[in-house]
Amino acid sequence: MSTVLFAVFPYIAVITAVAGSLGRYLGNRYSYSSLSTQLLENRTLYWGSVPWHYGITLILLAHLLAWLAPGAALALLGGGLRLFVIEAVGLALALYAFIGLLMLIARRLRRNSRVRQTSSPMDWVLLVVLLVQVASGIVIALFHRWGSIWYLSTAVPWLWSLVRLQPEVSTVAALPAIIQLHIVLGFLLIFLFPVTRLVHIAVPPIPYLWRPYQVVIWRTDPGRRGPIATGALMAGTPPPARADAHRPNGGPAMASPGAAPPAPARAEEGEPVTRRDFLTRLSLAAGGLAALIVAIPSIAFLLGLRRSPQVWSTVGRIDEFQVGETRQVAFADPTPLPWAGVTAQTAAWLRRDTSDTFTAFSINCTHLGCPVRWIGTANLFMCPCHGGVFYHDGRVASGPPPQPLATYPVRTRNGNVEILTSPLPISGH
Amino acid sequence: MTGVSQTVGPILTHVVPHARRSRWLFVFGSATLVAFLLQVVTGIALSSAYVTSSGQAYDSLHFITANTLGRIVRGLHYFGASAMIVLIGAHTIRVYLMGSYKYPRQMNWLTGTGLLLFTLLMAFTGQLLRWDQTGFWTAVVAAEQAGKAPIIGNWLARFVLAGSVPGGATLSRFFAAHVFFIPALMFVFIGVHLYLVLYNGISEPPAAGRPVDPRTYRAWYHRLLEREGLPFWPYAAWRDVVVGFGVVIVIATLAIALGPPELGRPPDPTLVAASPRPDWYFLWYFALLALMPKWSERWVILLGPLIFGLFLIFLPFVSPRGERHPLRRPWAIAIVICALAVIAHYSRMGHLAPWSPRMDAPPLPAEVVGTTSGPIAEGAQVFYDKGCEFCHLVSGYGGIRGPDLSNVGDRLTRDQMLTRILSGAENMPSYAGNMTAAEQEVLLAFLESRHQFQEGTPARPAAMR
Repeated sequence: MSTVLFAVFPYIAVITAVAGSLGRYLGNRYSYSSLSTQLLENRTLYWGSVPWHYGITLILLAHLLAWLAPGAALALLGGGLRLFVIEAVGLALALYAFIGLLMLIARRLRRNSRVRQTSSPMDWVLLVVLLVQVASGIVIALFHRWGSIWYLSTAVPWLWSLVRLQPEVSTVAALPAIIQLHIVLGFLLIFLFPVTRLVHIAVPPIPYLWRPYQVVIWRTDPGRRGPIATGALMAGTPPPARADAHRPNGGPAMASPGAAPPAPARAEEGEPVTRRDFLTRLSLAAGGLAALIVAIPSIAFLLGLRRSPQVWSTVGRIDEFQVGETRQVAFADPTPLPWAGVTAQTAAWLRRDTSDTFTAFSINCTHLGCPVRWIGTANLFMCPCHGGVFYHDGRVASGPPPQPLATYPVRTRNGNVEILTSPLPISGH
Repeated sequence: MTGVSQTVGPILTHVVPHARRSRWLFVFGSATLVAFLLQVVTGIALSSAYVTSSGQAYDSLHFITANTLGRIVRGLHYFGASAMIVLIGAHTIRVYLMGSYKYPRQMNWLTGTGLLLFTLLMAFTGQLLRWDQTGFWTAVVAAEQAGKAPIIGNWLARFVLAGSVPGGATLSRFFAAHVFFIPALMFVFIGVHLYLVLYNGISEPPAAGRPVDPRTYRAWYHRLLEREGLPFWPYAAWRDVVVGFGVVIVIATLAIALGPPELGRPPDPTLVAASPRPDWYFLWYFALLALMPKWSERWVILLGPLIFGLFLIFLPFVSPRGERHPLRRPWAIAIVICALAVIAHYSRMGHLAPWSPRMDAPPLPAEVVGTTSGPIAEGAQVFYDKGCEFCHLVSGYGGIRGPDLSNVGDRLTRDQMLTRILSGAENMPSYAGNMTAAEQEVLLAFLESRHQFQEGTPARPAAMR
């Protein structure tokens, strides 16, 4: 179950969000908006929207930054007082956002309000998920304290394992249920992103962050009261009225009587979604999703690379090697696949430089990886493939190799020589 | 059966232009297809006994080869691969020289480009599946080449190896590519390619002074078919069948007479006395990697295949119209001749591998040295011990990377020789600090004694390869 929730669903959510957003942006660009209802009701909107957006934006940023820079976050939270202050500020912001959200919901619930009339079922789904999400966040902040610290060692490693396409769910699978709910709802919101008015967060090129606030007007067209264009999956349940932001628009919309709206929106944006369009998009979405469900685990499995652990491997006793002598040694992959057979071995050229120092050269020529041979009498390594030659200390003597022979870390312990098993050296890196 | 005959009949008997004098040049595509089908059949047979395991594949190949029929099937698969490379090359050149890639057959060309690329990938991965020493090191070399890519190089190299080191997971990856992934793509591309041949019609032999005009070509082509077209079956198909039969006979003869390539030593990375060599179709690239200037290598590895691919892809877009006849397209002829010359020359160089030190060269025999004691004989021993002989030829013994030193005593003074020995060169190590004064002394004595006309020197044996 935790595999489905934490290793599969996040990918589905993100890919749906990206693909869906792109599809909606390319296919129905003028629906890319917060669908502001400012004109329908303004007073409660102000008291709801402002707290909500300030609170949730800062909280969301904290989640994101701690994920992107866990080291910096840990350093910041290191002091007890700093941790306390940050947790307190976070809780305050969450409560602030929660109150704002309650106002926004109340505003839509009000009987006979125009906002209620224009609310689509998807709006309600979104509001309920957001409410539960913020509430669960507050509960976590109150009853599972110091989340800003344990977030770094539970959710952050897991999120990065998702990025690396090697999902590692153990750190989140052990968390209390309420926290797991919070995580799943977070990805559910990402999943819902392209089919709700959440898309206004990503209105390219995101000018709302610095432009002056503006007034939104609704352009009513008495001649046509068709369904509005709000994206493929919302199309089946059209709100009764036609609502257009006058341009792609996002963020908390606040009243500014001075700002006059520009030209009316284009005609095409209001065209009804026909049955044909709906079925086309439904088929594309269902087919694409089915293909992704098959492709994602397959490709991710293929991309997952086996990392052999690095361990110190004994290759012989110190007194087996003469000073100044170079000899071939071999060490095995510490965790070989049972069917790897001889290929689990790696050879190296071990040179005893002085009585207590060794150098372990990779046998791979730095040109293209062929095995170099040590010619003891000539004091040279020679490569049979393209004629690369190296001196006894690994420097290039002649031929095409671009850099000296790679070396493995080597040490002496208890009379033994040990080599650190390492990845195949790739020259140029 | 009517359903079948109604479907297949029109396909078989579709009308094709009369190919006149060049009618035997239109057989390479179908011959490539014959080779491909042979590869599919023999490949399935081999895969039913091959063990996809880095530790056991080598043993399973010995098992297959020990069986008489298994040996023949391996031989068929090997020579089938060679035949497919040759035939798809001939087909590509024929289509390119005749300008058959022009309107309306651009998509034929693009799918063919994909098939050429896939065939090369199959040849590469297939050679690797012969999981002996060469197969193992081919995987390492592939990873190192992928590692030259900027930014993602390291990751790409790890992806090729399926891990941080070559091991159990490596072979399975190449097996999946060779047996499932690339063949699946090839089936799709071949299907589209053949469909397009039927849809656009096979190109008519070009004529000088009859350029392709996309506005009128299709109508003109249909009039041509009506005027002098022939049903494909059997009037054109018989040549395809005859050539395909010949291809199978040649492959089978070689497979039975010569057998599959010998398996080298086991894929054990600790057997460092390995000399990996690619099969003949990649020898020219192997030689190129050894002979091109050092600074250009990274770019050639990265950009060479890219430019080749882009040339093939953009060709039909850049020249979709105009003259088709090779005599009106001298650049096409020049490009083909240059490409063939480069491949032929570098294949020969790859076969000789003059850059490769002959680490198996035997010490110089006494009759070449001319004496068995004294400084000259000691010098000959130093000449061998210090690896000089691996790269320098003396009286037919040794390598051919450096200059032939058989009569160096006539050409260079003692000081000139000493300078070169101590300082080294671009392709010669410096021996300063790697040789005692006494060793230098006897080595110089030996080299000074190398003259063109030496008393008592027997006739030279043929140069060692």
